[in-house]
Amino acid sequence: MSDLVARATRRHLVRHPWQLVLTLLGVSLGVAVTVALDLAIQSSREAFRVSSETITGRATHQVLAGPSGLPDALVGRLRLEGGLREVAPVVEGWGVHPDQPDRPLRILGVDPFAEAPFRPWLAGGPTGEVDGARLVTEAGAVFLSAGTATSLGVEAGDSLPLRIGGTQPVLRVAGVLDPSDALARQGLRDLLLVDLAEAQDLLGSMGRLDRIDLRIPERWRAEAGGEAALLEALEALLPGDARLVAAGTREATMEEMVRAFDLNLTALSLLGLLFGVFLIYNTMTFSVVQRRRLFGTLRALGTTRRRILAAVLGEALALGAAGAALGVALGVVLGRGLVLLVTRTINDLYFVVSVESLALPPEALLRGAVLGIGATLLASIPPAWEATTVSPREALARSTVESRVRELVPRAALFGLGLLLAGIALLALTSRSLGAAFGGLFAVLVGLALMVPAATIGVLGVLRPLLGRVAGIIGAMAARGVVTSLSRTAPALASLVIAVAVVVGLGIMIQSFRGSVVRWLDVTLQADLYVSPPGVVANRPEGRLPGALAAVAADLPGVAGVSTYLGTELVTERYGMTRFVALGLDPRGERSLDLMEGSDPAGRAFERFRAGEGVFVSEPFAFRHDLGVGDPVAVPRDGARGGGSGGGDPGGGVPGGGARGADDRRTQDFGGETLPILAIFRDYGSEAGTVMLAREAWDARLGDAAEAEVTSLGLFFEPGIADDPVAVERIAAGLREAAGAPLEIRSNRDLRALTLEVFDRTFEVTRVLRLLAFVVAFIAVLSALMALELERGRELGVLRATGMTPRQTWGLVTLQTGLMGAVSGLFALPVGVALAAVMIHVVNRRSFGWSLDMEVGLALPLQAVLLALVGALLAGVYPSWKMSRTAPSAALRGE
Amino acid sequence: MVVAAGLLGWGALRLASPPERSEVRATLSAAEALAGGDTAGFARAMEPREFIFPDDHGPHPGYRTEWWYLTGHLDAEDGRIFGFQLTFFRNSLSPEPPDRASAWSTNQLWMGHFALTDVTSGTHGYEERFARGAVGLAGATASPFRVWLEGWELAALGPDEAFPFRLRATLESGEELELVVEEGRPPVLQGDRGLSQKGPEPGNASYYLSWTRMPVRGHVRIPGASTSDPAGLPVTGEAWMDREWSTSALGEMHLGWDWFSLQLDDGSELMFFELRRSDGAREPLNHGTLVAPDGRVIPLAADRVELEVLDRWESPVDGTRYPAGWRLQVPDEGIDLTLTPRVADQEMNVTFRYWEGALEVSGRSGGRAVGGRGYAELTGYAASETRPPS
Repeated sequence: MSDLVARATRRHLVRHPWQLVLTLLGVSLGVAVTVALDLAIQSSREAFRVSSETITGRATHQVLAGPSGLPDALVGRLRLEGGLREVAPVVEGWGVHPDQPDRPLRILGVDPFAEAPFRPWLAGGPTGEVDGARLVTEAGAVFLSAGTATSLGVEAGDSLPLRIGGTQPVLRVAGVLDPSDALARQGLRDLLLVDLAEAQDLLGSMGRLDRIDLRIPERWRAEAGGEAALLEALEALLPGDARLVAAGTREATMEEMVRAFDLNLTALSLLGLLFGVFLIYNTMTFSVVQRRRLFGTLRALGTTRRRILAAVLGEALALGAAGAALGVALGVVLGRGLVLLVTRTINDLYFVVSVESLALPPEALLRGAVLGIGATLLASIPPAWEATTVSPREALARSTVESRVRELVPRAALFGLGLLLAGIALLALTSRSLGAAFGGLFAVLVGLALMVPAATIGVLGVLRPLLGRVAGIIGAMAARGVVTSLSRTAPALASLVIAVAVVVGLGIMIQSFRGSVVRWLDVTLQADLYVSPPGVVANRPEGRLPGALAAVAADLPGVAGVSTYLGTELVTERYGMTRFVALGLDPRGERSLDLMEGSDPAGRAFERFRAGEGVFVSEPFAFRHDLGVGDPVAVPRDGARGGGSGGGDPGGGVPGGGARGADDRRTQDFGGETLPILAIFRDYGSEAGTVMLAREAWDARLGDAAEAEVTSLGLFFEPGIADDPVAVERIAAGLREAAGAPLEIRSNRDLRALTLEVFDRTFEVTRVLRLLAFVVAFIAVLSALMALELERGRELGVLRATGMTPRQTWGLVTLQTGLMGAVSGLFALPVGVALAAVMIHVVNRRSFGWSLDMEVGLALPLQAVLLALVGALLAGVYPSWKMSRTAPSAALRGE
Repeated sequence: MVVAAGLLGWGALRLASPPERSEVRATLSAAEALAGGDTAGFARAMEPREFIFPDDHGPHPGYRTEWWYLTGHLDAEDGRIFGFQLTFFRNSLSPEPPDRASAWSTNQLWMGHFALTDVTSGTHGYEERFARGAVGLAGATASPFRVWLEGWELAALGPDEAFPFRLRATLESGEELELVVEEGRPPVLQGDRGLSQKGPEPGNASYYLSWTRMPVRGHVRIPGASTSDPAGLPVTGEAWMDREWSTSALGEMHLGWDWFSLQLDDGSELMFFELRRSDGAREPLNHGTLVAPDGRVIPLAADRVELEVLDRWESPVDGTRYPAGWRLQVPDEGIDLTLTPRVADQEMNVTFRYWEGALEVSGRSGGRAVGGRGYAELTGYAASETRPPS
């Protein structure tokens, strides 16, 4: 008996190969997308973690530089006055090989003789050998990993040309490190190891260190309070704008920033799986419905319910397992492509990371497999239940199914409405949780999907008379057919609606985002010409320009005014990674700051800003830290800590403030001094958050520590100059001559184009995921509709027998699938817009702190509806072709 | 001491060492670094020269290696006895400094060893430090005289004269030594007027001067020890300082050396070193110097000195056996001495492992019974720095 059930179910699958293939494809694609993204994200994280660890090494603490860097002499002070033995200075920067300008290479400058306790890979062992003596004594000596050397096309002894900021130094490969383990290879990827002195020369940061790694001896940690006391003593040795943090703080902050980005991608990939689930549900329902007669017969012959339930679930499990296995394999392949997109986006938006190879953690693969199998089982429970609960007699009659489904429709709609409302409530009642945002988004989406069948019945009820009048009996029959076979059409319709809605929603979101950025650029890019040192990483100038260049620029003929910009990325205890900007604002450039509502009246805000009475902060900064106009923000300053000696102290520091507790210190960035927020400006340039201070105020606060440098200049031309290429070229030449080094000089238009190019690049992953999600959905719909029409073979046979021509059959099938396409397209529009609204106003804001202007437009929705229609029509081609070729008698004979 | 530092310095700097505490892993072996190595571009010790002070108190960066090597014995008021070693090794990693603008740019690498032996309690604490000769981390100047590596230093008290100078050194475990060092006896020029030949080839030699008896006074601070003086335990004693610089010294056949500096209580001092050859033969280049109580300097060629090992000591680190007790005879001068380590374990388990420790001296000289103190340095017995099994 058991054999019979097993054979019967197996036979069914074999006899419906199309169904089998499409189901497998749907499951595996759904799994593949999630697995691929999971792997890509994990690989980029792992690469970042490993390279951070390689570079941070075994430090317990780090002194991080403020805007002015750390003085060379601090190393000696930490060793002598701080009593620390293990103190390693580091100078870091970026460069590129001229032939591979898109590949940032990390220049790591260390003192080999201070390194042993920190970066043991420098001292040999598994990574090979670094000859410290050569590193120190040979100007231009660089060590790099074998993999990096190969990909740069160099060997030991070769010269290695580089482009670093405006300079083009040529280094010599002193040696190649060949780490035996993969982890070390990853850690050393795209790393150029040079002597500290070489790094200062290369990066032009004379007398300046980027950080100092420390190891606090065990004996301090062993004593109660010993470490806190030591840290406090050390901190007293630091310049005012430097910070002493536990090792890894910086990296943790950076990882934190990427988390929202990762979560967004993961949510998108889960959407792909959701379509897979729809597909499985659809297929399983379908195959159960098709076999009601068989199951009825088996039941009548004495097979138990449990046995049939087991057979159906077993079938689902087999399908799910096969699909999941395929999906995992496909995901690994897909992941290799995605990881490039993901890391490039991270490079553009956050920090430089280079992935040596796709990490394949078994748990990620397992997670994908479990997700696929679990989803399959879950999706097949309702149909399996259905197949076993009906009585054998009922099961033999087809009409009972449909009437039962019809009964279910209002209930599903009601449940959907509940889900929708719950989702909306979740979105409305939470304000920051990203998890809640995605939870709400999914609830809204599924809720709307559940309401689709009811809406379909309603709409088709209206359409039927209309179609009858236009297309006669065929039209009326097509409309009626959709409703009468709702058990099969409903899942197909719902998934088509969701698929189209997602395509519409994501499209609107990207379009709105881009539109907002374009408007922001139009406002922000007020200057005519922008000058910066040539950067390695798009969007983030690494180098600096001499401050005197601003004065030179202002004196050039045709230049009416100059704005200066000095940006420094700092990690602070309270704000994490933040960009602090000293802005020398030309009055012509005031409009370039897109101040948001609630800011001081514009004129007054600028006046106070110039006077150094407060700061401007970017929207993401304000959102992230829940700050508004008038709230205080800690700003870098020089001078002694704790109100001791020294330092022009505009706020009147506490005299003789003495020692502060260690806990206190954690919340007191820059000596705990603050300035109020005068205004909040729109900024899509950095989601890390930006705090702007007037240049004069910056210089006053930092005193000697303030560098007479800028990261970029904005030049305002006198009228008519911008349209005169000769005059512009003369100005550019004047700047280059004054700088004595290469400059990146871009017109307003060029910079705008470049920014948009980066923007488009960062959305490539989203676009790819959108496409993948759509492909899965498309397959789901295709398979559902195709199976639906094929299953109606008997019905169509009757119609053929009663005189319907093949042509009319073709018309009926096409009209019916087309109708479903049109209906779902119609429903998808409002769902898509709702989806976009949630993504724009909730998800994006919570993820990145940006507010975007939503723009729906016409082209995108139309495109999507067209896509739905075409997909649906395509699905009808094979069944109608097959039906028109089948003799009515054969069709009537049934299966 | 000569050679000692030779190997130590250059070995250690360029030397491979195990990960845990290692410095830079280098591709050259100690022997290569010292014996052969690339000497091109460096100055060589070819012939005797005139020593001019204060200049020669300062560094000679044209030569590859150089050291300021102090050992001594201290007596505390309460009867406790200490021995100490403080050495500054300078190494030119290349003949010329690299062409770089950064303040960190240098070809000078400094290594320091400091050891304090508490004879009374039988303990021996030591430490090794490295720093590049840049941004004030380490260096040496002739006038005013100063040699320093981070917090360890020798610094003249006055602006013009090297002597007296202050010596300062601390261990991470908290011990501190602070002394004022006076010149005492004038320097002895070792070897041929200060040119000390270490290998048969010309140039395989060093310039070598010794201050053989320098009065010192100051304080020793031991963590946890209660003293009435907040500066620490007041001490007085006598120190020995070797100054030596060279570019290449040892021959390839040398396994290591045993070096002795002795201060006898009849007012004489004796330095002698023995290079141990791989072929087992006695090295004819071994030599030493006897400074008579009246200040007369008597060279001691290899064949005038007999050295016999009386005892051995096994290192707890890995069982390496070091000589630990000698009979040293200079028959011509009527000298017959027994040398005994004051503490058995005075091993320096640093990048380049060796034994350097305080000795008790007894015996006869010129027919009269004498006592005295000394230091011995024994190298080439153990592999490089070894971590004790944990």
